[in-house]
Amino acid sequence: MSNLKRVHGYLAEFDNAQDLYHAAEHIRDAGYQRWDCHTPFPVHGLDGAMGVSRSKLPWLVFFGGMTGTITAFVLQTITQTNFWRDNMGMGFLQKLVETYPTVVQSKPTGIWTLPAFFPVMFELTILFSAFTVLFGLLALIGLPRLNHPLFTSKKFAKFSDDGFLICIEARDPKFAQQGTRDLLEKVGAKNIELVEDDI
Amino acid sequence: MSHHHVSFKDLPEGGEKFDPAKASKVIGTFGALAAIGLLGSAYYAFGTHGDTQKGFAYSWLYAIFVGFTFVAGGTFWILLHNASNSGWGVAVRRLFENLGTMALPLGILALPLLIPGVQNTLWEWFGHHRAHPGLEGLHHAAESDPHLHPLVDKYGYLNITFWTIRFVLYFGILWFISTKLRSYFLKQEADGDIKHTVYAREFACMVLLPFALTVTFAAVDWIMALDYTWFSTMWGVYHFAGCAWSSMAAMLLLVIYLQSLGYLQKVVTGEHFHLMGKLLFAFTVFWAYIAFSQYFLIWYANIPEETRFYFIRNTGVWRNVSIFIVIGHFVVPFVFLLQQQLKKSPKFIGFWAAWVIFMHFVDIYWNVIPERAHSMGLEPAPGSDTPFLPGAWVGDVLALCAVVGTIGYLYLRSLGKHSLYAWRDPRLLESANVRN
Repeated sequence: MSNLKRVHGYLAEFDNAQDLYHAAEHIRDAGYQRWDCHTPFPVHGLDGAMGVSRSKLPWLVFFGGMTGTITAFVLQTITQTNFWRDNMGMGFLQKLVETYPTVVQSKPTGIWTLPAFFPVMFELTILFSAFTVLFGLLALIGLPRLNHPLFTSKKFAKFSDDGFLICIEARDPKFAQQGTRDLLEKVGAKNIELVEDDI
Repeated sequence: MSHHHVSFKDLPEGGEKFDPAKASKVIGTFGALAAIGLLGSAYYAFGTHGDTQKGFAYSWLYAIFVGFTFVAGGTFWILLHNASNSGWGVAVRRLFENLGTMALPLGILALPLLIPGVQNTLWEWFGHHRAHPGLEGLHHAAESDPHLHPLVDKYGYLNITFWTIRFVLYFGILWFISTKLRSYFLKQEADGDIKHTVYAREFACMVLLPFALTVTFAAVDWIMALDYTWFSTMWGVYHFAGCAWSSMAAMLLLVIYLQSLGYLQKVVTGEHFHLMGKLLFAFTVFWAYIAFSQYFLIWYANIPEETRFYFIRNTGVWRNVSIFIVIGHFVVPFVFLLQQQLKKSPKFIGFWAAWVIFMHFVDIYWNVIPERAHSMGLEPAPGSDTPFLPGAWVGDVLALCAVVGTIGYLYLRSLGKHSLYAWRDPRLLESANVRN
């Protein structure tokens, strides 16, 4: 273990949700990017006060879902119809997987059996969307991780009880040892703490 | 956030009164449509004879049912709003209340459906019942014509007396629900008492079931019974989905129009468009779910007495309409209504609301009209594989103009009678400042 420490950022405490909300508006307007609020309960409109932009997750989920639809469509039509051989000129696909066009209730073996495949297309759309939501979310928020520098602060645990905290991280381009501290004091922060992480 | 918090100081005392003179262009257009439609309909109903006249009965049924879906949808949304004790929609609820009360004029427009000649043309079972009165008569006739056996079995439900009672009840129930619910809030505007909100909630919970039965059996009586041998248990839900979908779209257009005239500026925000757009989206999906379930089970099971409905709609020209409905009623609105930011834009949501109404017209057309040529025993024209009654689409358009024009005209004029929103509702500010 070395004695060197790395500055993670300033952790500031506020009296209540309102103070935190207005402080967030000021920090947003000051142009900070790498910072976050920690509150015991969801504060309505805080995302707007922080200037958080829309998540990219919906786009990931859209294409994840579409992948599911297409996967189900292709898998089913290759294995159970003659669509790829007769309409797409890709008979080798059917040879590849040794298919048996499934005939149920004298349904056609072409693309018009499509309704029979809808349930699976629907299910795979949902499944792939759900997976993209979960894993996309974890990737975007950087979880799972073993530890977080904020845990070195004794004060931080209060965020799950009665603490309204804002942390401005040192990797923010606007971060300055004195300037950021002044800003936090100006917007009404109590107990400003410089959080340092062991290297 | 620059979002201004609306308080009672920002809102006018007595709410906002709509002045029909300001909307004279649109009201005039509806009036002109109604005049042309009603005159044309009168010509078709009384000035023509034979197949043309008979075919027009279908046109009128189509138009009445389109009107019915909007009115029933308006009633549904106020019921849901009150029963679920929600606050967001207080700013727009009055518009739905007024839409529901249009059940009365619509019921008057629907009176021609009580004429025996019209009934015999539209619903074959009426003719059989009149030719062989009573259960005994039907039973006797069924011995020589086995096609009448279902009518003997269904006699307890499908008989002329009960049908007529139900016909009156459908319009009566919708009218009663919407006037009653509106009257609670009109009383509240007089005395400002919160108890009316509670009463409205209790009342809404009590009439949820009668409402559901109304929509279900209206669809069964008027559209499903066009072929008395056919049945689908999804039928009521299918048309309920259409009701909720189309009326929400109509109200979105109306709110956008009212805002362009300078009304509802303080109480309705982009958040409301987003919320209403979300419900529009939800019912796009719900409709598709129900429509596909109904199609899928019948198509897969392939039982002759069930498949007839889809057989005539999935062959010939109607097949193209079916595919168009799949794409236009579900796929396209689904993809576009999916995006959150777009739903908050009045221009965007207005366009899709108009599209939704158009597709709803097509959907009901596809439900009602294919039966016409088959019922009348017409043969396909040379070179075609689908039987059609030549030129009948003119009557369909005229009937639609007559009903939509009349109801639209009366509806817009009725908006001026009361405030555009319940201005003493305890949750008006909650609605005006809603965030989602």
